[in-house]
Amino acid sequence: MFGYQNKVLRIDLTRKGTIMEPLNMAWAEKYIGGKGLAIKYLYEELKPGIDPLSPENKLLLMTGPLTGTPVPCSGKLAVAAKSPATGTILDCSIGGHIALKVKYAGYDAVIFEGKLSKPGYVLIQNDKIEFKDASELWGKGSHEVEGILVEKYGHEASVLSIGPAGENLVTMSCINSDYYRQAGRGGIGAVMGSKNVKAIVVIGTGGVKVDKIVDVTNRLTEILRTDTVSEDNMFIYDCGTTAFLEACNDGGILPKNNFSDTTDEDWTKYNGDVLLASKVGKRGCGSCGLGCGNFLKIGDAVCEGPEYESIAVAGPNAGISDPESIVKANQVADDMGLDTISAGDTIIYAMEMTEKGIHDFGIRFGDKEKYIEYLKLMAKREGVGADLALGVRALAAKYGGEDFAMHVKGLEYPQYEPRGSWGMSLAYAVSDRGACHMRAYAPNEEVFAASIPPYTAEGKGEMVYNLAIYNAVKFSMVICDFWPLSLERMTEIMTMITGKDWTEAEMNAVAERVINIARAFNQREGFNRKDDTMPKRLANEALKSGAAAGQKIPQEAFEDMLDQYYAVLGWSKEGMVPDTILCQL
Amino acid sequence: MALKRLKFTKDNCIGCQLCAQACSAVHEGEFSPSKARLSIESYYTSDGELKYKESYCILCGMCKRQCPFGAISMDDKLALNLDLCTGCGVCAEVCPKKVIKIRDEKAVLCDTCDGDPSCVKICPHNALKYE
Repeated sequence: MFGYQNKVLRIDLTRKGTIMEPLNMAWAEKYIGGKGLAIKYLYEELKPGIDPLSPENKLLLMTGPLTGTPVPCSGKLAVAAKSPATGTILDCSIGGHIALKVKYAGYDAVIFEGKLSKPGYVLIQNDKIEFKDASELWGKGSHEVEGILVEKYGHEASVLSIGPAGENLVTMSCINSDYYRQAGRGGIGAVMGSKNVKAIVVIGTGGVKVDKIVDVTNRLTEILRTDTVSEDNMFIYDCGTTAFLEACNDGGILPKNNFSDTTDEDWTKYNGDVLLASKVGKRGCGSCGLGCGNFLKIGDAVCEGPEYESIAVAGPNAGISDPESIVKANQVADDMGLDTISAGDTIIYAMEMTEKGIHDFGIRFGDKEKYIEYLKLMAKREGVGADLALGVRALAAKYGGEDFAMHVKGLEYPQYEPRGSWGMSLAYAVSDRGACHMRAYAPNEEVFAASIPPYTAEGKGEMVYNLAIYNAVKFSMVICDFWPLSLERMTEIMTMITGKDWTEAEMNAVAERVINIARAFNQREGFNRKDDTMPKRLANEALKSGAAAGQKIPQEAFEDMLDQYYAVLGWSKEGMVPDTILCQL
Repeated sequence: MALKRLKFTKDNCIGCQLCAQACSAVHEGEFSPSKARLSIESYYTSDGELKYKESYCILCGMCKRQCPFGAISMDDKLALNLDLCTGCGVCAEVCPKKVIKIRDEKAVLCDTCDGDPSCVKICPHNALKYE
């Protein structure tokens, strides 16, 4: 098939050796690339039960057949490992230009194994791999490190780096690239830190070949003009995800004060209009077309974004409405190498614990200076940060507050309140990496498009399945979430780039396989229905304000949704993938 | 009629490099920005700035005037006579935008895709224009 480089770079950090091997094309045909193929590799290569922070874990960078081509929105890289936050499979998606550089360097995938004996970074210049000392970089913020390395290797270099949080094995640490892009969730940065790898620098000057390249380029130009940069999608360019603030606030799913309620009457103080008034530039990823990145400067705070998630958690969910503080929290979390969602959720849990007098973490709703200070302490595991770095699940086990510990499988909750979008409680529960909004995005159907009634369990198993199927194949092709292309278009693009005829049925088969193998990985680690949970708050407390006022999700309704979802996938009542499916993966 | 040239407006550029991919596809038969006949990049700096680095042919004609072998002509576009080009590299040296490269002992220059530049056609927010 065209589009692939047919090459995997395997890096043994322990021995400082490298192996080039062919990409497993039989697997590529079944899983395409990106998310799906990364999980397949890890499923086959990781022994069950390993410690995610041990040298036995592997860090995978996986591109796809479209990476490095002008397929719109194809510039993302899957970064995968076993998650130290949850013990599940973990695949993240990072933008910027790193994916293209990996592909142009000649690789479909890079697999890091083992552990460097002391802090270092890895330099990949096409087929030349070097192991460099990072003792001068260790301890520094991610932004400073990227600046130093780009200064040294030039702008043609793309950098993945971790901040102090990753070094300190904080299980909510991220990997950064292009300063403001992250592989954010599940502690992927700690996996890199556990391998003593401070940074990965990639310079790729090769290319990607496809059949009938001029025709392909012309057709992709047409698709870009008509289907990507279309009127319906221009809000991404104009506003980025700040656009979701209004939709979520109106729809009653913008959480407030650690998910104790929704709908913030102060939301206009930090909404898109306010934030974008401070926009000083635009930037997208390689091969983009939409360009979601808004580069902002407000007072002393600088960041690209901030994204809806980061605004909501450091804003209304923390009782804060100061836009400069919200942007600063984003900037500090990025630089420290912390996931804005998990770190933020942990701080707002601590705020509620303090407010309720259950345990005094010394921070209350609205304490905006402390929010930022606590991020730094968490990354360094200093003072109260040593506790907070443990995350919501561990803190609830230690100090209580289980009823409002907002997580699934130890991954903290994204900022879409499920009581206003019941399907989201199911999506969070069955997501392969713990509570994640990127596996099946229920608010699209239940709130924004209002095509499916939000406050009912009826039909939600199938709805979440359909959403999950769509994302599973899209993220395996490695296309960005922001381009809502049809399955027909995905099929056309796969056929055009690979030169192999794909059908929609085959694409759906890939998607289902991806969902099954992720579940199979987790099942092998001991996960089943008991782990597909919903925080107690959602069943016990009705929302007081907003469009979804009065709503809570009865536990029976939640269990009903789980039953439905498992049934659609042919899983057992216990949420287990049967042998008949396992043997086909 | 005034000569049409590539024009770049950085405020519309998102740094996607689709321009360079399309260019290399049409001219080199592969998607490879490093072989493209233009390069437009944006990048952040550690002190919090967004910068642009652009290199594209402005049809200034310097290469044509300085070519010792008369291998480059320019009417509505640049054209290279391969028989006359020795790959001496004078054109690349004098090119003020650093667009021209020497590859396989021949100059590689932007021919604006014979008046219908691929880079302009694919540029998603019209940061590149040909006018």
